[in-house]
Amino acid sequence: MAGAGGGGCPAGGNDLQWCFSQVKGAVDEDVAEADIISTVEFNYSGDLLATGDKGGRVVIFQREQENKSRPHSRGEYNVYSTFQSHEPEFDYLKSLEIEEKINKIRWLPQQNAAHFLLSTNDKTIKLWKISERDKRAEGYNLKDEDGRLRDPFRITALRVPILKPMDLMVEASPRRIFANAHTYHINSISVNSDHETYLSADDLRINLWHLEITDRSFNIVDIKPVNMEELTEVITAAEFHPHQCNVFVYSSSKGTIRLCDMRSSALCDRHAKFFEEPEDPSSRSFFSEIISSISDVKFSHSGRYMMTRDYLSVKVWDLNMESRPVETHQVHEYLRSKLCSLYENDCIFDKFECCWSGSDSAIMTGSYNNFFRMFDRTTRRDVTLEASRENSKPRASLKPRKVCTGGKRKKDEISVDSLDFNKKILHTAWHPAENIIAVAATNNLYIFQDKVN
Amino acid sequence: MEVQKEAQRIMTLSVWKMYHSRMQRGGLRLHRSLQLSLVMRSARELYLSAKVEAHEPEVPLPPVRSPDPRLHQSREAEAGAEAAPPDGEPTSPEPMDTREAPRAEETPARCAPRPTKVSRKRRNSSLSDGGDVGLVPSKKARLEEEEEGASSEVPDRLQPPPAQAEGAFPNLARVLQRRFSGLLNCSPAAPPTAPPACEAKPACRPADSMLNVLVRAVVAF
Repeated sequence: MAGAGGGGCPAGGNDLQWCFSQVKGAVDEDVAEADIISTVEFNYSGDLLATGDKGGRVVIFQREQENKSRPHSRGEYNVYSTFQSHEPEFDYLKSLEIEEKINKIRWLPQQNAAHFLLSTNDKTIKLWKISERDKRAEGYNLKDEDGRLRDPFRITALRVPILKPMDLMVEASPRRIFANAHTYHINSISVNSDHETYLSADDLRINLWHLEITDRSFNIVDIKPVNMEELTEVITAAEFHPHQCNVFVYSSSKGTIRLCDMRSSALCDRHAKFFEEPEDPSSRSFFSEIISSISDVKFSHSGRYMMTRDYLSVKVWDLNMESRPVETHQVHEYLRSKLCSLYENDCIFDKFECCWSGSDSAIMTGSYNNFFRMFDRTTRRDVTLEASRENSKPRASLKPRKVCTGGKRKKDEISVDSLDFNKKILHTAWHPAENIIAVAATNNLYIFQDKVN
Repeated sequence: MEVQKEAQRIMTLSVWKMYHSRMQRGGLRLHRSLQLSLVMRSARELYLSAKVEAHEPEVPLPPVRSPDPRLHQSREAEAGAEAAPPDGEPTSPEPMDTREAPRAEETPARCAPRPTKVSRKRRNSSLSDGGDVGLVPSKKARLEEEEEGASSEVPDRLQPPPAQAEGAFPNLARVLQRRFSGLLNCSPAAPPTAPPACEAKPACRPADSMLNVLVRAVVAF
């Protein structure tokens, strides 16, 4: 719909014009699997941007302070810290390898000079402390500057060590390891608004943890049937409410969302609210069941709405209305007739994420061919943009893209059959306060921001 | 016919995907397995309803389901131990490692003689060796009785699917096996008395079918 005529149709809220800012990652055509980005997350202030990859590595970018001599150029994101969060492991009991791929990163709100984040793979969650060291002590009594111990008998005078500046060093250390609580593969973690607890969800269970306690967790949702052969749905995502620390939601592979209140009972198997849209019989097809599976659920910043992503659409739900979503946005409806091919090449199983803008006025999600889609909820306009190295001149405006669904292909349009299904944008993040977005395209991270008027 | 072929192709593809998902790093993914089995179920329903539309009266076993176990074996041998990419070949859809030695994880209960072999034998025995039935050990006879019940399901599959309890997800193991027994000549789960029967019949294939292994893997996960 958007971008008709290829003009500069504004996207996002308030007539934004998106421009290229930066791209991180290797340029090689040959992409190493370990470098494929698997999660992207801004911290609460937006000054830090974390990415996790399939190789278990976390890279944190920090926004540079704005340059006073160039007030029109926003701060750039540069590498702040890189560390290996998870390593491949082997479960000897089940003879299974546990992948080191980082499934999710979630930041904790900052409480002191250090930064904390949770990162998880399929089985283990880790709390990392990222701290800066820019001073070091010099003038120890018992050891030399190079660390060699001094002979105590040779010490004739005592001195007080003094702190001297040094090159900034950013250290990441694992402070807590939350392991052995999940039989199935962890798909979500979510920090509670109380800043003391968090949840982790796998296919069948959700556990509640205290950040200080690693040897125990409470199981709050368990949908495992007594007889596994009767399994009909799995948990696909879960999140805590941004303000109400007793409320969380979880989505299922059947396209439903359950909202639970931890005050009502210890085990929240019975939902407080059940969100499901009745299926449209006219759109029922062979693959209906699997494309209705929800791949991501996110509360709005206000806490009034939540958004879900299934294979072909994003839906915005009002928490007060369970019967149907208040908005439905088609992401790539032209793929509906291609579902069989997408099943063959496994693309139908891709799990796309979605995110809200800081003001909740716009939502964003990814698609194929390195396209991503943005929907403005106030103006009801949507746009398709592309993350590509070809549009990577600094501050170059992004041109809206259009997919031709049939008939004559106009200039600048791309036909459905020409789409590259290996170039998929599954992970995106929106700065909490400003119009800056991070888009992960395989092994590259693109950062776009709006043109400062 | 096209619909039938397409449905069959999708079923084949799904089983192949399930087999491969077992091999990937991180092990079997529950969500993926569930989605694959949903597609398989839909494909099966489509296949059966298309078959019903195509052939209103009941028909005997379609050519796909070779009644001759020897012929079936040789076809499987051609399929080989390698994971055959789904090529729409209806007769050897599975990367079944038919020559694989019995695996440690096999339980005797899973050792299932093929219904066609059993039915052939039963037909033979009823026609020509009727007198021998009394000489067969009682356990074997019991197996045959139960197999008879199971085998009678074989032609039933051609009829419109009976009203199943679609509320609950059908027993995955049973559904997978039933669904594919027509294509693969795998029998439904044999009763526990199978082992002596297995040993008694030299033609009984102790090697578990890939399907059974897959199913067990999904169920046990």
